[in-house]
Amino acid sequence: MKSKEIFSFMMNPFTRIAGWQAFGIGILFVIVTGVIGTFGHVAFDGVIDMHFTRELTLLNSFAYLAIDLLSVSFIMIITGFIISKSFRIIDILGTMTLSRAPLIILAFAGCFTVSPDINEIMKDPYVVFQSVSFIIFSILSFPVIIWSIILMFNALKISCGVKGSKLGGAFIVAILVSEIISKILILKLIRL
Amino acid sequence: MLPTNCPGCHSQLKVKCLKCENCETEVSGLYDLPVLALLTPEDQQFILRFVINSGSLKEMSSELKLSYPTVRNMLNEIINNIKANEK
Repeated sequence: MKSKEIFSFMMNPFTRIAGWQAFGIGILFVIVTGVIGTFGHVAFDGVIDMHFTRELTLLNSFAYLAIDLLSVSFIMIITGFIISKSFRIIDILGTMTLSRAPLIILAFAGCFTVSPDINEIMKDPYVVFQSVSFIIFSILSFPVIIWSIILMFNALKISCGVKGSKLGGAFIVAILVSEIISKILILKLIRL
Repeated sequence: MLPTNCPGCHSQLKVKCLKCENCETEVSGLYDLPVLALLTPEDQQFILRFVINSGSLKEMSSELKLSYPTVRNMLNEIINNIKANEK
């Protein structure tokens, strides 16, 4: 494989992998992300964001990831019904699951990151600049989250066979709605 | 490859003459090209493989080493091209 082909595959593996195969591989990534994230104190408490938390149990880590995955899959399936004439639910579920794979990088990076206490940050936001590892983690988080969003976009594109502004508009709305729903569910089901 | 469009104005070409190689008889007229002949060689190859695979997208995806929705999207694209040519 040439470097261009590898890059293309990294950005859109769904031309080759979809359905149950994508779901199986994606679930493996999600499980490993949950385990490593627990040790790294990285909570993926939203479809497109995450935070450091000192008190993160394995159960909570998996609960966050499950809520994220179910929220984004559910909203994308509804979006699929709106924008596409024919698609398979397993394709959206599988490709959306595999789109979570890049998050494993952040879970792993979290193990080597010293995060300032949230109360200290609230008192003095500049305290974050005292931790080099936290700054590196923050910088790293942007491309990783963008990579995951690109994967989700391509997942919807391939699964539903839709192109153009119809796809772009529907995806933006869907990702924002799924982020809001995941936040609400996490607040209602886990934090209360 | 059979030319399907005019190199000058890009309009769709028609068949003017057919010839029997055996007795040299020529049939002249103005005939439409078959719908399948208007497709690209890649699309024609896809349709051929699709028929050979009994119209199974699953078989096609494993043969082409592409995912099921990708193959279905390719088929939808060909259907749209055929509909456009029919118009």
